[in-house]
Amino acid sequence: MKKGTIVLIVVVVAIIGIFVWCKNSYNGMVKSDEEVNAAWSQVENVYQRRYDLIDNLVSTVKGYAEHEQSTLQGVIEARAKANQVKVDPDKLSAEDIARFQEAQGEFGQALSRLMVTYENYPELKANQNFLELQAELAGTENRIATERRKFNEAARAYNTKIRSFPTNILASMFGFETKGYFEADAQAATAPKVEF
Amino acid sequence: MNNLTKYLSTDRLHCIVRRAAMPLMLAVLLVALCPCASAIPAKPVPERLVNDFAGIFTAEEALSLERALTAFDDSTSNQITVVTVNDLEGYAPAEYGTEIGERWGVGSGKFDNGIVVLVKPKTGDSRGQVNISVGYGLEGAIPDSYCKRIIETEMIPRFQENDYFGGTAAACSVLMKLASGEISEPREADSGGGPVILFLALAFIGFCIFIVIVASGGKGGNGGSGGGGYMDGDDFARGLIIGSILNGGRHSSGWGSSGGGFGGGFGGGSFGGFGGGSFGGGGASGSW
Repeated sequence: MKKGTIVLIVVVVAIIGIFVWCKNSYNGMVKSDEEVNAAWSQVENVYQRRYDLIDNLVSTVKGYAEHEQSTLQGVIEARAKANQVKVDPDKLSAEDIARFQEAQGEFGQALSRLMVTYENYPELKANQNFLELQAELAGTENRIATERRKFNEAARAYNTKIRSFPTNILASMFGFETKGYFEADAQAATAPKVEF
Repeated sequence: MNNLTKYLSTDRLHCIVRRAAMPLMLAVLLVALCPCASAIPAKPVPERLVNDFAGIFTAEEALSLERALTAFDDSTSNQITVVTVNDLEGYAPAEYGTEIGERWGVGSGKFDNGIVVLVKPKTGDSRGQVNISVGYGLEGAIPDSYCKRIIETEMIPRFQENDYFGGTAAACSVLMKLASGEISEPREADSGGGPVILFLALAFIGFCIFIVIVASGGKGGNGGSGGGGYMDGDDFARGLIIGSILNGGRHSSGWGSSGGGFGGGFGGGSFGGFGGGSFGGGGASGSW
């Protein structure tokens, strides 16, 4: 009789223990998942910011740099292409992010090709509107770099959580999948620019 | 022994080395790619707003700047920190400034209202570089183009004449004007340590009294009305906070200055510490 009670207590305690562990792990994963989603929406925000700046930029540059029509056209096309790449925010798989990054990277390159041409147009260089756009654009590139770094940090924390034992058992039961990372751009990798 | 040497024949060794080399190379690459934590200066102890690591200010200049920025922090909760370094360790100035802001937690955690003014003086053959990084909460009040203009009109012309203090002080005064138009919140309203503890202590005492009243069989109505009174006070404080946000800079004479008085009395004029603000890469850089 007494033995039976002890066994019962042990079983109840074990069940409660397992329940508490499951609850904490599951909620922890949900929290990390939400953090990744929040970081992703920040990433999308800053890319959207760059997207929105282009209309202004194109209309400003158009008036001055009539020889750069093809460069301008390149920017507009790359932007349209980048905007077509949609990423499922619930998945954020490595392939999705790679596709997103590639399209945005092409857009970024087209944009930087346009921005180096301004040196040839002294009137454009003196245009206050253009100078402000240039500052906003530079700030936006910084924001993109910052938010991508933060996204990678959040994704890394999440991936570590769902792939560590024993949480990985729960993660696979509830269908938590690993998230992708942003790779360092070929451009960005050479970025720490040393000026003499 | 013989077996061992056979086992470790050159072929096998090559194989082992090759197998080990790949992860090793990857690790080295990762370390090389991830900017080392050591490159960004650690949060100063004691925390202060003017961090002249490059030594371009005199002691009096640093002190007067520190005083002005601390007073501004006390009265509006916006934190502007000035950092000077002789080497950016290969970072882009914007990245360096943003990292300092994030790691030190400049600005309050609630408003993300920090600003980092980074100056790398011109030394020998390396260019001078300057960056203003703006926390999330102030991006609306201080757009990148304003930062660029401050750098180009207030800072670089003075820096070119070696007037580092003049340029930095001028930039700070413009930044203060812009920032206080957005967030003008007395220091006590956010996570400043002392007042929160005081508040918690009061709440605890109130709770004890409540328990005593309930336990001693006092009328339930008494306890209830006490609770109601407390809620009203809270709502009132919230109303004041929201009101002061909505009113922005115009309001600073009333609520702001009374907060300033409190801060002076409590902190004795010294900087209360960074509040955990966050940065998203906003701001601008320049070089000369």
